[in-house]
Amino acid sequence: MIRSLFRSLTRRARVESDMAAEIQFHIDAFAADLGKRGVPREEALRRARLEFGPIEAKKEECRQSLGLRFFDELRADLRYAARLLKQSPGFAAVAIVSLAMGIGANTAIFAMAKELLFTKMSVPEAGRLRAFSWVLKPGQQFPAAAWGAFGPGMAAPFSYPIYQDMRQSNPVLDDLVAFKDVNQLPVTVDGEAEAVDAWLVSGNFYPVLGAKIIAGRPIAPEDDSPAAAPVCVISDAYWARRFGRSASALGQTIYLNRAPLTIVGVNAPEFKGPKSGTTAEFFLPIALFQQVIPDPKGSPLTRNFWFVMIMGRLKPGVSEQAAQTALAANFADAFRADLPEKKASDMPTFRLVAGGRGLDTQTRLFARPSYFLLALAGLVLLIACVNLANLLLARSASRQREMSLRIAMGASHWRVMRQVLTESLLIAILGGAAGLLLGYWGRDLIPRLFDQRAVHPQIDWAVFAFAFLITLATGLLFGLVPAWRSTRADVNCGLQETTRMSLGRGRSLFGKSLVVAQVGLSLLLLIGAGLFLRTLVNLQSSALGFHPERILLFGIRAPRRSYTGARSVTLFHQLHDKITALPGVQSASLSALPLLADMMSLNCFHPSGRPPTSDDADSAWTNRVGPGFFETMGLPIVSGRSFTARDNERAPRVAIVNRRLAKQFFGDANPIGQTINSCDTDEAKTPIEIIGVSADAKYSSLREEPPPTVYFPYLQSAEGSEMTFEIKTAASESSIIAEIREAVRSVDKELPLLDIRTQAQQIDETLSQERVFAILSAAFGAVALILASIGIYGVMSYTVARRTNEIGIRMALGARSSAVLGMILRESLWLTLIGVTIGLAAAAGLAKFAESMLYGLKPRDPLTFAGAALLLIAVALAAGFTPARRASTVDPMQALRHE
Amino acid sequence: MSKPLDLLQGTLDLLILKAVSLGPLHGYGILLRIQQISKDRLEIQQGSLYPALYRLEHQGAIASEWGESENNRKAKYYRLTRAGERQLRAETEKWTQMSAVIAGILGVEEV
Repeated sequence: MIRSLFRSLTRRARVESDMAAEIQFHIDAFAADLGKRGVPREEALRRARLEFGPIEAKKEECRQSLGLRFFDELRADLRYAARLLKQSPGFAAVAIVSLAMGIGANTAIFAMAKELLFTKMSVPEAGRLRAFSWVLKPGQQFPAAAWGAFGPGMAAPFSYPIYQDMRQSNPVLDDLVAFKDVNQLPVTVDGEAEAVDAWLVSGNFYPVLGAKIIAGRPIAPEDDSPAAAPVCVISDAYWARRFGRSASALGQTIYLNRAPLTIVGVNAPEFKGPKSGTTAEFFLPIALFQQVIPDPKGSPLTRNFWFVMIMGRLKPGVSEQAAQTALAANFADAFRADLPEKKASDMPTFRLVAGGRGLDTQTRLFARPSYFLLALAGLVLLIACVNLANLLLARSASRQREMSLRIAMGASHWRVMRQVLTESLLIAILGGAAGLLLGYWGRDLIPRLFDQRAVHPQIDWAVFAFAFLITLATGLLFGLVPAWRSTRADVNCGLQETTRMSLGRGRSLFGKSLVVAQVGLSLLLLIGAGLFLRTLVNLQSSALGFHPERILLFGIRAPRRSYTGARSVTLFHQLHDKITALPGVQSASLSALPLLADMMSLNCFHPSGRPPTSDDADSAWTNRVGPGFFETMGLPIVSGRSFTARDNERAPRVAIVNRRLAKQFFGDANPIGQTINSCDTDEAKTPIEIIGVSADAKYSSLREEPPPTVYFPYLQSAEGSEMTFEIKTAASESSIIAEIREAVRSVDKELPLLDIRTQAQQIDETLSQERVFAILSAAFGAVALILASIGIYGVMSYTVARRTNEIGIRMALGARSSAVLGMILRESLWLTLIGVTIGLAAAAGLAKFAESMLYGLKPRDPLTFAGAALLLIAVALAAGFTPARRASTVDPMQALRHE
Repeated sequence: MSKPLDLLQGTLDLLILKAVSLGPLHGYGILLRIQQISKDRLEIQQGSLYPALYRLEHQGAIASEWGESENNRKAKYYRLTRAGERQLRAETEKWTQMSAVIAGILGVEEV
């Protein structure tokens, strides 16, 4: 039956000609039979036709039998709807553009959310992958040194010996793989240095996960041994960028952090590594850890050092719960075997978590913002729907006669409704198609605002289906009410000369309540936009405590292979001297942590002579800085002195504290000359003398007040192999970077400058989320404002048109035009005020959900609420002014003849 | 000659199925055969035949094919499909039962 319908639809012309031929044959044959009985030919044909009945009507019945009627009517409806849209291009443009913006925003945000939150690793059966994690009980100390990110629901680091033990006895998962990300390693190819990200992976990583290779071979289990020839696999992007996809890259030797590696393979472009939202350039066997990143404390593979992530596929038929129980027992065994000196109470609690996305740091960061943005975009679409419903309602009122005529001529109510719905769906589909196009163009825009440059949302079938569904939903949402209304017409009234009678109070009341709803929803968005904009401005203008202007930042990492211990300090000292001497540099310094980069180092100190306490009173945020740091950053020293190059490893240990810490440790006493001790028992013996007090400055985040901070001279400690340089300069960025590159090259020609940016950009980077919210909510707010003004304009124009007669009478009776103007303006003001009241109440109720995203203002900030409300009222009055003016210039004579 | 009987509702489909069950026929042939079997006692409005034919074909009870007519003209021939055979059997049985029941009821009244 469906096949028959499909055939009839696709070969429509054939169906029609066959039908005609068949009927013709029937008539001819009948006529011929009549002819045999002696009826003259002409007469025979006439009688044959007569006996057959009305041919066209029968054909129509045949079409109906084939199920074609629905489609014929649909085509007629669509043609009619298209013609109507063409007749009112203004309406069509407003409808399609507003829907396109709403659907486009939703599509782009949905695509981003899907990519950020749900895209799995490009390996077979990623859904079965599980990662190992652990949690600590409240107050529990972590039993070892660890390196890596961890959070709820995320893969957590384990020690390599525990990985090996658990791999030995693992009944519930397929073979376990281990991996660790190492970022910003210098790589030297053909004498040129740059920084890359790398993954250390266990030898079974490629065969077990099934990650694809497009050239050469993957890392094999044999490669994962200190005795094996050092090899690596590179990413497709790096292959393209560095080697132009040349086959000669395979077999080439490169130097990663000064360790020679032979390239043996290239990853498939879709395999980006086991961490969502990132792309790494290099993959190498984990056995090469000590060769590539030498650790003075010995190989991390044999120590109690927790750094590898562990993952495996759940065996078919094993339940999540059974796997969790079995692995937790395995973990306990491994923990006891590898760390016999630790107590059972030191053991973290094992957790099995989803591993399909690898190391998933993004869900935690982006889940809330994504859903919040989807809600905002959904609100815009809802406003667009309400606006359209309102415009359509006004249109349907002016088409009352047409509908009445159709019903009077026998069209069923359902048939009339179907026609109006077809029109709405046509508008929705046009808007949806344009929206999908907008979403496609803008798909990279929002991730870029979020500083997620590695994220490229795909417009795939799921996104397409989402766009299609919201399109249908919007079409029904804004079309259903006008469609239903159009059939409620009183046929008698509708057909009379004037349309006035059929326009009951109910209809205009309904239209007005739509406008009220629209105003309320728009105000919600405007208030959101105001809150987020002010949050961004508050953050950007918050007092930093230092001057970030014209400061250039870059990182230098001293490869441990060449610079062990104190030699790295010498390297940084040399670099600092060279850079300070450059002509374009006003002053230069360096620090272990860049300021306002979401990085922190939290330690415990206590004033000498007072025992350490266990509470927060002793915790201090630390930074190791070079001479000239305070001068370069514009961070004032309020008493004592700043660091100099003489505060080195041969000099007594010194520190500079900020005011807040001075107050916390010493109250109102003069801190200069006092000493502090580390709570760490190894270091506690050396007292550290305070030589200066600095002003309070923000440390890692704009949202935090300046914390109690202690600065140490980096020249007095050999720890850490990466420093960030701060260069105060008046020269242009590109020329100064070239100078610095040359200076660094003269010290060590294989040291890349890492992550070059200005301090202002650095601060901006930490505001990406706030900026996205501010930009998008402001854009959405603007759209809502425009739509609200269109809605008010539409409904007031309609009111004025409907009341032309009445206004004419009023004016004929002596009403002045200013009074009429006031009357109409008052009406639109009332609508707006009701909407604003509802919007304010809703915003007050919803604001608390945004509280954690705001800074420097309360969620029910009265200034923002009032400002948004006033803006909306002003725009509404402006939108209502044109119709009001039209009403006030009505010529009574014409208006009374208007009918 | 008595006035021809009007066709009972829903019986046209059954008659068409019966007509083509004896061999492929074109539309006009089906009309002739029904008239012939009924000895001209049934009146079928000629044009109504075709919507019924299209409907039956759409349902899959009959299939059509273009062929040559007796006087060498192209004509569309209909034949019964498997599904049509089943439908014919089922409808025939239903019809027989129904007419027996109705005849029974009417018979009682005569007594």
